[in-house]
Amino acid sequence: MKFDKPREIVLPTGVLGFAAVPDGSLLYAACMDGQLLEVNPDKDAKPAFVPFAQKHTSYASGCVLLPDGQTVISAGFDGALIWHDVASKSSFRHVQAHKFWSRQMALSPGGDLVASVTGQYLAGSEKYDPAPETEPSVKIYDARTGDLFQSFSHIPPVLSVAFSRDSQYLAAGNLMGEVRIWDVASGRQVATFTTPDFTCWGIIKSAHYVGGIYALAFAPDGHSLLCAGMGPMSDPMAGNGKMTWQRWAWRDIPPKMLGQIHDGEHGSGLMETLAWHPDGQSFLMAGRQAQGTWTTAIFSAADGKLLTSLDTKSRVTHAHFTPDGNTLYLAATHGQGKRDPKTKQWDNYGRIHVVTLSA
Amino acid sequence: MSAKIVPPGSCTPDEHRLHRRLFLKGLAASGAAAVGSFTGLFTNPVFAEATKKAQKNVILLFLTGAPSQFETWDPKPGRPSSGPFGSISTSIPGVHFSSLMPRCATIAHQLNIVRCMHTKQPEHFQAINLITRGNPDRAGFTRPTLGASISAAVGQLDIKLPNFILLDPNPEGNEFKGYKASDLSGWLGPEHQAVRLGGTFTQLRRATDSLTDDHEARENLRAYFSQRYANEHNSRMAAAENSAFEKVKGLMSSADLFDIAKLPEKDRARYGPGTFGLHTLMARQLCEQGAPFVMVANGMPWDNHVFQHEIHQMLVPELDRILHCLVTDLEDRGMLDHTLVIAMGEFGRTPWLNPARGRDHYPNAWSMMMTGCGLKRGVIVGATDEDGVDPDGTSFNEQNLFATIFSALGLDPYAEYDLQNMPTFHRVEDHADPIKEVLA
Repeated sequence: MKFDKPREIVLPTGVLGFAAVPDGSLLYAACMDGQLLEVNPDKDAKPAFVPFAQKHTSYASGCVLLPDGQTVISAGFDGALIWHDVASKSSFRHVQAHKFWSRQMALSPGGDLVASVTGQYLAGSEKYDPAPETEPSVKIYDARTGDLFQSFSHIPPVLSVAFSRDSQYLAAGNLMGEVRIWDVASGRQVATFTTPDFTCWGIIKSAHYVGGIYALAFAPDGHSLLCAGMGPMSDPMAGNGKMTWQRWAWRDIPPKMLGQIHDGEHGSGLMETLAWHPDGQSFLMAGRQAQGTWTTAIFSAADGKLLTSLDTKSRVTHAHFTPDGNTLYLAATHGQGKRDPKTKQWDNYGRIHVVTLSA
Repeated sequence: MSAKIVPPGSCTPDEHRLHRRLFLKGLAASGAAAVGSFTGLFTNPVFAEATKKAQKNVILLFLTGAPSQFETWDPKPGRPSSGPFGSISTSIPGVHFSSLMPRCATIAHQLNIVRCMHTKQPEHFQAINLITRGNPDRAGFTRPTLGASISAAVGQLDIKLPNFILLDPNPEGNEFKGYKASDLSGWLGPEHQAVRLGGTFTQLRRATDSLTDDHEARENLRAYFSQRYANEHNSRMAAAENSAFEKVKGLMSSADLFDIAKLPEKDRARYGPGTFGLHTLMARQLCEQGAPFVMVANGMPWDNHVFQHEIHQMLVPELDRILHCLVTDLEDRGMLDHTLVIAMGEFGRTPWLNPARGRDHYPNAWSMMMTGCGLKRGVIVGATDEDGVDPDGTSFNEQNLFATIFSALGLDPYAEYDLQNMPTFHRVEDHADPIKEVLA
């Protein structure tokens, strides 16, 4: 398996979330100007993208496409979930899910439920441990009606969320490396584990915590759970911890780590997204590279070895395989770039990398 | 030696006029020879007593690392530079702060915000020096920092506290660590060097608690500080600490003031729980006890080249709460009229995000807050353009800022230092104007 040279779709602002129709003919991008865009990946398409009518009042952090292809739900740093009609590009429902950011969202594989996680990191002690939550950090809504289905407590900020393939379980990970897993139907917490390998605290510049689990993905069989992020740093504000994934047997009592990224196969930088290849034999992790040779890599599910990698020269925020596994979409952002002093225009800094995979 | 003591013409509050009268009274009482120099003036006992009565205090919340103006005082909602946070209206009609500052928004009429700071040092160490010394470097000469200048100006006060206290619970701080270990008093000499405390109070308490007699107490404490500064590999600092030993003796009897565990629980809950808030509360208490200048820092937390929004979403609400507590407490205690509160970093942050979702250093256009001590209140000085890239019209630099601070304190900004065998230096060079918009 190897990546072929990617093609790049340029969008006005950074892309933080992404969804696509199964055949990849239309893409949906949640952008840092709050806008949800429908993007035509055809390189000759004009216009290349069409905005939806309703924007978030802060960054749009994610979006999901319901199985009928008619509705996109976006989440934002305004704490809102917005239901958009694909055909008309108008919105028809607005749910204020949180007081703070919706940091990440997930759609249950059956398309019935949408989960969103939140939480503001506020100083809770002299050591700047996170203060307790002031609202439920994890919420699940009925994707069709917008009704609240479940809400769960966690230690904020909660950064990542994922459903199991059978939609029975929901996992959410936070700044402190704690993962909680609930039975979705009953609302009962069924497991929790904490890994110290994604979080750091230090005083080189300042005493506070940085890092956490930025991505979660259940293995296809549901028995293990992948976590991704960045390893600890001596200076918590350097952004150069090792690119890290760990795989946990979350059903074990107590849960135990099955494996992690191999020495010599990682650079440094925050990893923000995980995606299982549709064949279930490998998984992808991607993010930003501070030092190293790749931003995106595919690992063997059997032994965790790195199979192939790609340097997109960007910060990858979301990855999505087409159902046949032959095409990969990577939502990404570059640095914003300075405003042109003469024209006062800003550079376009959003990207969707379209990557084909070959044997 | 000549002294150019020019009354601060732009400073009109009653206290300032009183200050000048007392200053003249000191001149008459002690004779021109004794006070003919700047230093001599402020060690004059009559003047010192008068100064004490007209005591002014300064609390400098130094936001080391440089906070983002967009996430604090100068939001740009809807613009590409805005970041993810919204803006909120304040108690000043038409003025908005970042939505991360709801408490300060309610007391905006008590604050002054300068939104058009423009300085020329983009690197931390140089910029920290610039903004705390108030003038550009001149090779071969070390200018005193603001705390040292004020220490010299107030002279020997009849209090048990040092004139210049630097509270920082973080023993590190990257570039700020180097600054803290550097010569903060410059040509004014070691007696005006900062007494640094914070974060190691346990050691101080142990030193004082273990005393069996005064002699042992002094020796323990001297040994403690000597070792501490020897460890910081700067012999001038060690010399400074020895010079300040008489003041340090006062610390022994004031040790509780420096013990965060002994801060009132009710106040701890309001200012805390983070160490920056607790040390700000400590600064308030120290000023209540007469400390003329207290600088509070917390390492270098604001330097968010990475995770800008993730860290500012924690730091700014903490700053918002602390500033609100401090300003309202000082006002409630009748102290704000004679206490200057300054909150600033060494520069601002870029309007654009870098690839690591951070904002980088930006001295071109940034914001700071100052209030109290006879300044007007509720003034928003200057503006930046629609994206916050450049000042929109007027801008002010470190010299303008220092001229404003000295004017607020009733000190001549342009007074010449009494220095032998050295070039002529002034508190503020180039006769830079104060920021008149905030002067009463």
